[in-house]
Amino acid sequence: MSPAPNRDNQKLVDRLTALVGAEIVHGDAVALESYSRDATPLFHGLPEVVVTPRSTQEVEEIVKFAASTKTPIIARGAGSNLCAATVPLNGGIVLSMNKMNKILEVDRAQMLAVVQPGVTNQTLDETVAKEGLMFVPDPGSKNVSTIGGNVATSAGGLRGLKYGTTKNYILGLEVVTGTGEVIRTGSRMVKDVAGYDLTRLFVGSEGTLGIFTEITTILNPRPRAAKYGVAYFTDLAAASNAVDQVVRAGILPATMEFLDNPCILAVEEFAHLGLDTQAGALLLFGDDGEPDFIDAAVGKMAQIAAEVSGSRGVTLAADTAAADALLYARRCSLPALARLGTLSILEDISVPRPIMSDAVKGINEIGKKNQVLIGTFGHAGDGNLHPTIVVDKNDERAVHGAEKALKEIFEMALALGGTITGEHGVGSAKLPYLTARLGEGQMQLQRGIKSVFDPAGILNPGRLGS
Amino acid sequence: MTDKFTQSKLDRCISCGYCLPACPTYQLTGDEQSSPRGRITLMRALQDGKMPFTDALEESSFCLGCRACEPVCPAGVEYGVLLEEWREISWQGKNRPLIVRGLFEAVKSKWRVRAMGVISPTARERKADPNLNLMMGCFERVLFPKVSRTVARIAPEVSITKNQGCCGALHAHNGELERGKEMAKELGEKLSGTILTTAGGCAAHLAAVIGNERVNEFSQWWSAQEKLLKPIEKNGKKIRIGFQDSCHLRNGLGIFKQPREILKSLGDYVEIPDASGCCGAAGSYSLLQRKNSRKVIAKKIEDIKDLNLDYVITVNPGCTRQLATSLRRSRVKTRVLHIAQLIEMAVN
Ligand SMILES: Cc1cc2nc3c(=O)[nH]c(=O)nc-3n(C[C@H](O)[C@H](O)[C@H](O)COP(=O)(O)OP(=O)(O)OC[C@H]3O[C@@H](n4cnc5c(N)ncnc54)[C@H](O)[C@@H]3O)c2cc1C
Ligand code: SF4
Ligand code: SF4
Repeated sequence: MSPAPNRDNQKLVDRLTALVGAEIVHGDAVALESYSRDATPLFHGLPEVVVTPRSTQEVEEIVKFAASTKTPIIARGAGSNLCAATVPLNGGIVLSMNKMNKILEVDRAQMLAVVQPGVTNQTLDETVAKEGLMFVPDPGSKNVSTIGGNVATSAGGLRGLKYGTTKNYILGLEVVTGTGEVIRTGSRMVKDVAGYDLTRLFVGSEGTLGIFTEITTILNPRPRAAKYGVAYFTDLAAASNAVDQVVRAGILPATMEFLDNPCILAVEEFAHLGLDTQAGALLLFGDDGEPDFIDAAVGKMAQIAAEVSGSRGVTLAADTAAADALLYARRCSLPALARLGTLSILEDISVPRPIMSDAVKGINEIGKKNQVLIGTFGHAGDGNLHPTIVVDKNDERAVHGAEKALKEIFEMALALGGTITGEHGVGSAKLPYLTARLGEGQMQLQRGIKSVFDPAGILNPGRLGS
Repeated sequence: MTDKFTQSKLDRCISCGYCLPACPTYQLTGDEQSSPRGRITLMRALQDGKMPFTDALEESSFCLGCRACEPVCPAGVEYGVLLEEWREISWQGKNRPLIVRGLFEAVKSKWRVRAMGVISPTARERKADPNLNLMMGCFERVLFPKVSRTVARIAPEVSITKNQGCCGALHAHNGELERGKEMAKELGEKLSGTILTTAGGCAAHLAAVIGNERVNEFSQWWSAQEKLLKPIEKNGKKIRIGFQDSCHLRNGLGIFKQPREILKSLGDYVEIPDASGCCGAAGSYSLLQRKNSRKVIAKKIEDIKDLNLDYVITVNPGCTRQLATSLRRSRVKTRVLHIAQLIEMAVN
């Protein structure tokens, strides 16, 4: 949260310009300010320079230079992360990877794609769709976030229950480590256990172990059909119960997402879908696959949702367009909630699914106790909740209440055997709570791992492993 | 004169980045500072005094002001208003582009605007429905006098007075927000009832100042009349028609279905890829930022060429001009017409 030291950056800019050329080195005030934030509220810090590399070789040169001069490097994709993982709190170089955005290869036979890190999730998915394939991870931010960012945060999304998250889809990486060495981890094979699984270690490393310059991902066949529906309930606890019943019935659908009443109101205001704004909770459920199969599965889910106590009704989306509109609206929950106040702080706890209703009740109590509005939405199927505290940023009492509520939500999640972040990552925002989650022993190991890959401590310093 | 942004409008943005893919200037550069989110970040720094207003002039000019970032923003950020405020604050004195100063001079008073119409024959004055008045536009009078004459012919119920000023959109978008609002109000007082306009950009500005209910853009109005039209044929085949949205009409007023519905009844309608994306005319942008304006339209011209269209239809004079000159430059034969002109072909 502290501002960056406003060092004179001219020398650094000159040296980098000499190294990689003026075209990709930006040291003017406008550029620096533009890269001073990500999607996390309250965090701001100026870099000393922004560099936009176009090739692995340029990345290599920049990292070597940074290592020799001990200059921090903050890798950045689209800057859509929600944990202040790319805010330059200690100056340094923002390495914006979004211009390395080529799809290098789509291999239909091996069902994989090789891409540069800056391509956006949606572009990749739309491109492989033409081949009848699907890139599975679909975070809410899919239209803007990059594959590099997705890998570095192991992004989840709206179909984690059946399909898993980014970590399940990465086969191999080309990485520039903290010493400037270029390594290739993994391979093009699904089976390959030669050595420690460094690929998996890099997934979720939040820019602290290496800079990805090429990514090999698994692709799935694109499902032939998809079907979605919406169920309304009196409250989130009833919706959680429905989710639990569905899974107990042996159904593992792609999507089970829920929104509470404040979220329904905010989303409806933006998307005008005719949602039931009186409902306490909404469950968006659906599955994809063979038409007959999903008809049966989605029908069964609808039946369960209609029968649990607290159900207010179920409707099935008439066609794909209607289903897409629902999914899109769900993705927009967070920014739509921002309509309700001037400061929205979003959380990302995860708890074991069968006790999700306890977490939901806990969140409500915490909101009441601290007198703050909390809108909760989340990936119900995964037990991953996004309680979002919305307050007026000029109301000191409310801001204080929000801070207290946040801390209590984390404590509750840990007490329930859950975690402080399900998919958004640690960054700077959750680092203060990491020891409580991992314990000192694991923290030591994490630091040890970082120092192997990044002995000079230049890669996203002050975050994971520091 | 404003010297600060409206804080609550800045606060609305949560920097989620949803708007990035919709922004034409971001598509061109890939640089955060030329994205809506980046520009709002800059506005915040300006507001907080972290940066002098002179620092970010270039980005305030590079922005097309197309407002494509608005309908995609789930938080409801009113980017268009913020941009108007930005230019109001920083495009003062010597920081106002010379061309803008010239344009302002030209439309300074009613008689000057009227004089512009004298050079080229616009529609004649007439009294018809007193509660439906045609807005004549300022530059539209000079550039496309035919459009008002066409409307006069196909919509006999419309009243026409020549002694009317400019709606002030030009001012509002170029650093004279207050003056721009005053001009819209004056026009609203001068013309009674519903004001009918053939310029999407003017419609959006007028509506924002004097209220949606008082303003009708031509295609919006026509589609509500439910007048039946027969398809137009050329050499025994239905004509192939494409459409270019007016940015402010679509992004500001949400009008984009109506013109398409009309066109579907007139021929073989083909959706141009990214028809909703700015053509680079963007009011005075094509004059102020010639090079960038050409870059913005380049892909569109290729697409139109590939589609082999007979006509590209517009609902805003700036777009007509931009498309027509660019197509001519690339030797593409597709003709550019205002939607009223195509309707007239069907009526006859
Ligand atoms: C509205 C909204 C909805 C969201 N929904 C979801 C969701 O459903 N699920 C979810 O998981 N997340 C979600 N997110 C969070 C965020 O979009 C994801 O974390 C995403 O993966 C970040 O991608 P990015 O390209 O924006 O990366 P950035 O934010 O730029 O960076 C994220 C991290 O990746 C690192 N990084 C980026 N590129 C590279 C590279 N090439 N090499 C090494 N490290 C790199 C950065 O250093 C940083 O640590 C959402 C965010 C928003 C704003
Ligand atoms: S303007 Fe809207 S869409 Fe763009 S970053 Fe801000 S909140 Fe997100
Ligand atoms: S108005 Fe148009 S050019 Fe300007 S930021 Fe918005 S989308 Fe980009």
